[in-house]
Amino acid sequence: MSQKYEFTKEELAEIEKIKAKYPDKKPPVMPVLWLAQNKFGHVEPEVQHLVAKTLDLPPAHVYGVVTFYTQYYGERKGKYVLDVCTTLTCQVCGGYEILHHLEEKLGIKAGETTEDGLFSIQSVECLGACGYAPMMQITNGVYCNHLTKEKVDKIIDDLRAGKLPEYENMPFYQHGDPEPSKS
Amino acid sequence: MPEIFIDNIRYEFEGKPKVLQFMLDQGLDHPFFCYHPSLSIPANCRQCYVEAGTPVMNRETNDWELDENGERVIRYFPKLMTSCSLEATDGMVIKTHRTSELVKRGHKDVLEFILMNHPLDCPICDQAGECPLQIQTYKYGPEGSRFEHKKVHKPKRIKLGPRVILDAERCINCTRCVRFTDEISKTHQLTIISRGDKNYPAVAPGTEFDDPYSLNTVDICPVGALTSADFRFKARVWEMNQTPSIDITNGKGCNTDVWVRNNLVLRITPRYNPDVNDHWMPDIGREDYRRMNENRISRPDLKLDGNKIKSSWSNAEMTFAETISNAKPEEFLVLGSAFSSLEDNFTLQKFFKSRGIENISFVTNIQKGSGDGFLMDDDQYPNTNGCRMLGFEELSPATFKKKVSGGKYKVIISLEDDLLGREVIDTTDLNSAFFVYFGSNNNKTSEAADLVIPISNSVETPSTYINVDGRCQRTVPAKETIYTNRKLNLEMSVGRLDRYGTKFDNWVSDRNRVDCIPGWEFLERVALLDNSNFGYETSEDIIHEIAHTNSNFSGVSYEAMDEQLGVQLKVTKETKEKTA
Repeated sequence: MSQKYEFTKEELAEIEKIKAKYPDKKPPVMPVLWLAQNKFGHVEPEVQHLVAKTLDLPPAHVYGVVTFYTQYYGERKGKYVLDVCTTLTCQVCGGYEILHHLEEKLGIKAGETTEDGLFSIQSVECLGACGYAPMMQITNGVYCNHLTKEKVDKIIDDLRAGKLPEYENMPFYQHGDPEPSKS
Repeated sequence: MPEIFIDNIRYEFEGKPKVLQFMLDQGLDHPFFCYHPSLSIPANCRQCYVEAGTPVMNRETNDWELDENGERVIRYFPKLMTSCSLEATDGMVIKTHRTSELVKRGHKDVLEFILMNHPLDCPICDQAGECPLQIQTYKYGPEGSRFEHKKVHKPKRIKLGPRVILDAERCINCTRCVRFTDEISKTHQLTIISRGDKNYPAVAPGTEFDDPYSLNTVDICPVGALTSADFRFKARVWEMNQTPSIDITNGKGCNTDVWVRNNLVLRITPRYNPDVNDHWMPDIGREDYRRMNENRISRPDLKLDGNKIKSSWSNAEMTFAETISNAKPEEFLVLGSAFSSLEDNFTLQKFFKSRGIENISFVTNIQKGSGDGFLMDDDQYPNTNGCRMLGFEELSPATFKKKVSGGKYKVIISLEDDLLGREVIDTTDLNSAFFVYFGSNNNKTSEAADLVIPISNSVETPSTYINVDGRCQRTVPAKETIYTNRKLNLEMSVGRLDRYGTKFDNWVSDRNRVDCIPGWEFLERVALLDNSNFGYETSEDIIHEIAHTNSNFSGVSYEAMDEQLGVQLKVTKETKEKTA
């Protein structure tokens, strides 16, 4: 099954280093899945079996971990994965409106990928940026905060042009304070 | 001795029991889902809440602190505690739903949460009637649901493996099945996938749940999420009656319950016996219900000029008596069977001993390497030790083949053992002899036999077996033959259908009863022809005689076997060596 996917010698050495950090067999599964996802761009079942075999763990356990975290891509995703937060704070501040706007704009539903393979949308749980709601994360990287429909449109256009948005400097501010200048 | 107060009643305890298990041991009813006495304790269903407190110790006087009324001051845990994971300590005070409104409310609210996404399909659910969720909702649950939204939908009818089907919507994520594969069968095939309200158990992609013990997860599933691919939709639980029995597909002799409706065994489930199989049994033993129902021999078969005909019982008895009186003792080959009960084997031995034939042998069926060291043994037959203890000559298939070929035997008599089917011998070995076969199922051996005596199987007559570890256990009749009657034989269980149905109802069937008698009864009847019978009226008489005449079996009786879940016998050095 894992014929197609292999770790190189250097990667195996890296995995050994990761394993040495933990007393048990189970904890390394997460960093090793990261390593695999960075290498292959996804952790499809075949990669999961490879990880399980490498760490001598039951494949079912690896599968459980992959499906628990939306950050692991258990199937192939688009180049840009847009994780729109829809947990309480974002939801109250319009997370679903952003999500539905994205769905309409890209013509796909949450959990799907556009035909050109450029975008995937996921509706995810809290990403710990409740102060900047509503927000989304792009491919496990940049956080885009204080989303509005216009801002989303601009981000999509930029991404189509191959330009990732920059990390935003988000100072803490309270209601009533002057809005921070958008970087 | 340390004490614990549960609902204002004092109990003493030893060791370090968990509060839930202690309450259950005292016969106190308490709701729970995820806890299982043989598995680890994750405390994830939160159903077994209690209020718990410990007395305050005065560190100076080293004694309990007392209030103005002279009562111990109790310091309660700030929140409700899950009793399954709470260890009992000296002086602990527990309040359950019987005395605490808070606990009552807690049980109700947890159930409301569990039921939030649980489908209301009890009327078509296999688990209904034996469903902890259903029972506990009835006892402790809220009267209605306040949940007005659409329930979360999850996949249904997922074939996890060849024998287990999952309905993910019914799952309450107690993880009993996952813990079973992790801790008991150790195949680690199941896991809970996804999270939040979307999670349910699954196997890794590209694999299937083909664990040889997979059906145990169906038994321990507290809801109808995991169902048996074979049994699902066959019967409602309350239509069947349940009878204790023994698994005879293997030398281990797992304790089982057989579930019967209209005289058909519909399923076999494990029965708790801490000395043999705990709560578990292998899947293969559950397949055995087919043998009990299907392809049965009904009425004696006689071969006349190469044609099989059905014969009357008296004709079969006369033919048998004539055959044995026409041959010399050295022309006999009498075979007991490790597949047959102790009762039949013993009567066979006694019958032929009184006719001058001392040597009785049996053919083993030990598949080296097929066992797994857990509940499947190399020995494929349930009574190998019983035959050894009766003093039968033990023959390996190869030695037996050598012995039987050559045609020096005129008469071969064999208790149930499919010698041809398992390719120990072939028909040419039997050509020169008159072959009498006592069996309950049609097979190659019964086909080759000149006289076939249909005998009751392990679920039609009480049958005793001695397992590989020397444990003597017996079955209880569960299925009627045409000569037995559930309502007259007080040992047989009577279900609702048996009690209230009549054969004129279209949901009750009087069929499925086989024309057969226990093997020992046939021998008793033949012996009666020349008045040399033994006076056995029930199989219990035989066990009584064995226990009092053979020192290997001292202490064995039906009562002892029933009360102590089997009687442990000493496996003699001889038998042990042979086993090894």
